[in-house]
Amino acid sequence: MASDEEDFVFHGTPIEREEEIASRKKKAVAGASGNLRTLPAWKQEVTDEEGRRRFHGAFTGGYSAGYYNTVGSKDGWAPQSFTSSRKNRAGARKQSISDFLDEDEKADMEGQSLSASSQFDTFGFTAAEYSRKQVEKEQHERPSAIPGPVPDELIAPVSESIGVKLLLKMGWRRGHSIKDVRASSDARREARKAFLAFSTDENTKETSDSMVSETEVETSLDPQFSEDIKISESTPVYVLNPKQDLHGLGYDPFKHAPEFREKKRSRLSANKEAGFRKPLSMKESLFGPKSGKIAPGFGIGALEELDVEDEDVYGGYDFDQTYVIEDEQPAKPSNDNRLRLTSKEHDVLPGFGAAKNSDYSMERFNPPKIPKDFVTRHKFSGPLEAETKPTLSAPPDVPPPADNNLKLLIEGFATFVSRCGKLYEDLSREKNQSNQLFDFLRGGNGHEYYARRLWEEQQKRGDQSKLTIDVKPSSSVQKMTAEERGSLLGEKPLQRSLKETDTSASSGGSFQFPTNLSDTFTKSASTQEAADAVKPFKDDTAKQERFEQFLKEKYKGGLRSTDFNRVNSMSESARAQERLDFESAAEAIEKGKAYKEVRRATERPLDFLAGGLQFTSGGTEQIKDTGVVDMKSSTTYPKREEFQWRPSPLLCKRFDLPDPFMGKLPPAPRARNKMDSLIFMPDTVKAASARQVSESQEHKKETSIEEPEVEVEVENVERPVDLYKAIFSDDSEDDEDQVMNGKIQEGQEKKNEAAASTLNRLIAGDFLESLGKELGFEVPSDVPYQEGTKPMEEENKSRSKPESSSEKRPDRSGFKEKVEEKTSSLTLGSEDEKSRKKREKSPRKRSGGNDLSSPSESSGDERSKKRSSKKDRYRNNDSESDSSSDYHSRDKQGSRSRRKRRESSREKRSSHKKHSKHHRSKKSSSSKLVYSSDEDRKESKREKRRRRD
Amino acid sequence: MSATAELPTKEAHVLKGHEGAVLAARFNGDGNYALTCGKDRTIRLWNPHRGILIKTYKSHGREVRDVHVTSDNAKFCSCGGDRQVYYWDVSTGRVIRKFRGHDGEVNAVKFNDSSSVVVSAGFDRSLRVWDCRSHSVEPVQIIDTFLDTVMSVVLTKTEIIGGSVDGTVRTFDMRIGREMSDNLGQPVNCISISNDGNCVLAGCLDSTLRLLDRTTGELLQVYKGHISKSFKTDCCLTNSDAHVIGGSEDGLVFFWDLVDAKVVSKFRAHDLVVTSVSYHPKEDCMLTSSVDGTIRVWKK
Repeated sequence: MASDEEDFVFHGTPIEREEEIASRKKKAVAGASGNLRTLPAWKQEVTDEEGRRRFHGAFTGGYSAGYYNTVGSKDGWAPQSFTSSRKNRAGARKQSISDFLDEDEKADMEGQSLSASSQFDTFGFTAAEYSRKQVEKEQHERPSAIPGPVPDELIAPVSESIGVKLLLKMGWRRGHSIKDVRASSDARREARKAFLAFSTDENTKETSDSMVSETEVETSLDPQFSEDIKISESTPVYVLNPKQDLHGLGYDPFKHAPEFREKKRSRLSANKEAGFRKPLSMKESLFGPKSGKIAPGFGIGALEELDVEDEDVYGGYDFDQTYVIEDEQPAKPSNDNRLRLTSKEHDVLPGFGAAKNSDYSMERFNPPKIPKDFVTRHKFSGPLEAETKPTLSAPPDVPPPADNNLKLLIEGFATFVSRCGKLYEDLSREKNQSNQLFDFLRGGNGHEYYARRLWEEQQKRGDQSKLTIDVKPSSSVQKMTAEERGSLLGEKPLQRSLKETDTSASSGGSFQFPTNLSDTFTKSASTQEAADAVKPFKDDTAKQERFEQFLKEKYKGGLRSTDFNRVNSMSESARAQERLDFESAAEAIEKGKAYKEVRRATERPLDFLAGGLQFTSGGTEQIKDTGVVDMKSSTTYPKREEFQWRPSPLLCKRFDLPDPFMGKLPPAPRARNKMDSLIFMPDTVKAASARQVSESQEHKKETSIEEPEVEVEVENVERPVDLYKAIFSDDSEDDEDQVMNGKIQEGQEKKNEAAASTLNRLIAGDFLESLGKELGFEVPSDVPYQEGTKPMEEENKSRSKPESSSEKRPDRSGFKEKVEEKTSSLTLGSEDEKSRKKREKSPRKRSGGNDLSSPSESSGDERSKKRSSKKDRYRNNDSESDSSSDYHSRDKQGSRSRRKRRESSREKRSSHKKHSKHHRSKKSSSSKLVYSSDEDRKESKREKRRRRD
Repeated sequence: MSATAELPTKEAHVLKGHEGAVLAARFNGDGNYALTCGKDRTIRLWNPHRGILIKTYKSHGREVRDVHVTSDNAKFCSCGGDRQVYYWDVSTGRVIRKFRGHDGEVNAVKFNDSSSVVVSAGFDRSLRVWDCRSHSVEPVQIIDTFLDTVMSVVLTKTEIIGGSVDGTVRTFDMRIGREMSDNLGQPVNCISISNDGNCVLAGCLDSTLRLLDRTTGELLQVYKGHISKSFKTDCCLTNSDAHVIGGSEDGLVFFWDLVDAKVVSKFRAHDLVVTSVSYHPKEDCMLTSSVDGTIRVWKK
């Protein structure tokens, strides 16, 4: 203990703020090392230099300011020494520019900014600047005769930089350009002239401190005072162009809009040239960053940002030409761009009107008149009769000459002559007077044969098409038939679209759309026949009738009457349901047919595969076209799919329609994306369609094989093996299942597919249900769903079998768990499975836990009371279950509720909901059980509460 | 060629006034007036038969993409790039209500028959139904089953039909509570319903118009020849359902025969993209609008 400590007397205990200090230090350290930056914004703290929080609660002083929350400095707040204002009156205070400048700006003013040191200041700019500043400063001190800052040019650089020294040593003299003065002055003069022509608007350009501008300035000297380029000096020239506009001196219209300067310049330079002006788009310079395609004419507000949607997607139209109108050139029409003729029909300039009668009329020359008797096809003057007459008497048939060459020649010539007329023969006879080969023309060797061939050829031609010639010798032009013209033009005659029932051979891969329309009208009756043959609704004749009517309508095609209210006795929803049934049945029939066809065409295994897939995939309506075309291309568009959609009651009211879902609970949102990932079928399969398809399958089965065992099979199918195996291959339970369902696996393909689709439906239903729960929605029991729950009853039947208790086989809950787990992670699934087993082995323990937690149940009860009265109604049904604390009661209750489901649809829904809730609780509890007993207890409480409502 | 004689291929008037592209031109219910809207953020009311501008409506903050008038001509609705649906009074020119809620540009609006709701189709992949009767600002219904931008919407007495870039034409039937999705495989640009209500014409971005049977969803006919690849161009049927009309991106307007899909007539209507075509409900008269800033009235 130090002695000085004993000098003090301590009262009470000192407040230890160690942790605060420690944390502050820590923070300060963290802040210093930049760790704090990485924190999210709301975790970061503003601290002062010593790591104290700048902002803290109001009770601890608001925010830290000044020196330890005091003012000013270490000395704290010290009052200014009093000065009498009487003696020292506050005069009119002069404001200086420094009052309004920030420190950095002041630094700029003071010339403390970064600049080349005087040593390296080659061209003396910094020196000049410095000296100017110096002078300014001095001027402040002693007022000079000339007010205001001294012009730059009066102040010369005071020091010589290294660069200047070097240049001087290299022979450069002051006032001369650095460039090579020996260059040919003529070329330079030319270049200078060209440059001058271009840079007419340079007056606004400031002399920059770059080498480039130096040389530029040097080269663009005023012509009058630097004719001799050899002594061109580096003296800056400020007046480059004469003033051409009507602005005030020094006024720069583009001061704040330098983007337009370029445009103006281009316009001026263009005016100097031939007056032709290429419209230069100024968009780029104006709106810079984007592609420059900005919608013209309509700027956006100052507060809005330029977005993608502001880009002018249409482009091409130069609205900007009318946009920028400068008023500094009053002599010119401001909208000179409109001089361009905007479109063809307005051949007048704006401000002008078209004259009624113009002096100048352009002389028009009509095309030469074609004489009426002009024939477009050239015709030899030799009369056709001349060549047709000899045909009357056939020359005798003679054997061809021995010389093969001659024979060929004769034949070719005969063909030619028959085609071109007798004149050709005469011509060639004259021509080939001396030619031995053409002796046959003059009655020499082979003449007989030639005559015969010629006759034959002529006969042939005459037979082909020209029988009319004899009849109408006066008509000089032969009329062409459509076929002839077509063959001349190389057209192919259209294939008659013979629509057989089986187009598999002809249609191939290409799918011809236009035939579709006629197809609609001439839709093969075979479908209907097939439908008639199958009769899916045998048991209900009225329904069957309606179904046939539906089929007729469906394939009638074209424009049809819109009244679907033929059966007025049925309710809206029942009709909808029936319609769906019909559609699925029709689809099933079609598919079955197509399937058979594909089977027939077994030589194409690919087709078969496609057909197999088709069985579960695809929309309802794409089966319109018969045959393999569809089977092949399952992607054929359009594809129709149907979903449930719930119009809001208000919407129906506004449309004056009865709500189809009147009084029913709102549907769960359709979770499409997740669904797609869940289902391992082809992607196109949506749950809804799968459901439909499976329904159709069921229909088919019911109709075709009317045995009670079918249902049992379907029920077994409810728990298909493949998915389990795919996900939880290590599970022993599934093996048992496999044994159970082994026969199905061996069974026909169809059944397997039915299984898959049923599975899809199950997944879909369960998933929707659980998702709905998660999102806090009520689970719907829509019309098709009721259909879907049917198998569950069957399942329930099987459940009541001895020994097939819940442990043995994964019921829906287990399955659902898995599905849900699957979405999160696959590994968790087995763990979950184990935990569930554990829990089921020790039900007593859990129930004890429930008892322990009973006091806290009251709150849960209260909460449950708050729930909707609808649910309270259901509570009565299940009130017995509350009394029993046995864990197994849950399952019993589940089955009980399932039994009840048959009684009414409402109860069906309720119990179903409840059922699913159990699953949820099971799932969550099982996953938590592993970790802590505390969690377990809470969970069981929750469970119980759930059971109550 | 007698077929072309009854088609409105002669220019009767040119309506000028829009500064910039005109994005839509629509007849009113009886065809006596026309509303147009465009990039200049205005909506203009015209008498197309006399070629005069009647009124200009300004309130939109960005371009106006679609407009639709009620059957009693008292109100109209409009939508556009400012993500709102405006509900206007025709005579006073005031905005009665603005429906906010779309998360993106709104591409199309339509009233229902009784003009009690407005249905809007948006870039945010949704159709929204807005109530004109009550004062609620929330949409009556949001239909968000589309996978991509909804480009066009059509209403019947009982159905809402939307065409989307995801290639589907979805019919939402309020009577049976079903959604029927017809996947065309190509982005749907514009849909239009035949006057008998049995077919729907879908303009796709592969330069093809497709005619679908509404009850079965099958493809009845395809119409080709025009260009429609990158812009929103309209298509419609004539009031007799005899011909199909489509605007092309090269400024042409095409007429096809409905049944055999022949190009019956095509002519240059504009210099630039034809954004919209609208056919008179009774007479042989047609409106076309274009990016070149004009609306043209075509008659026989």
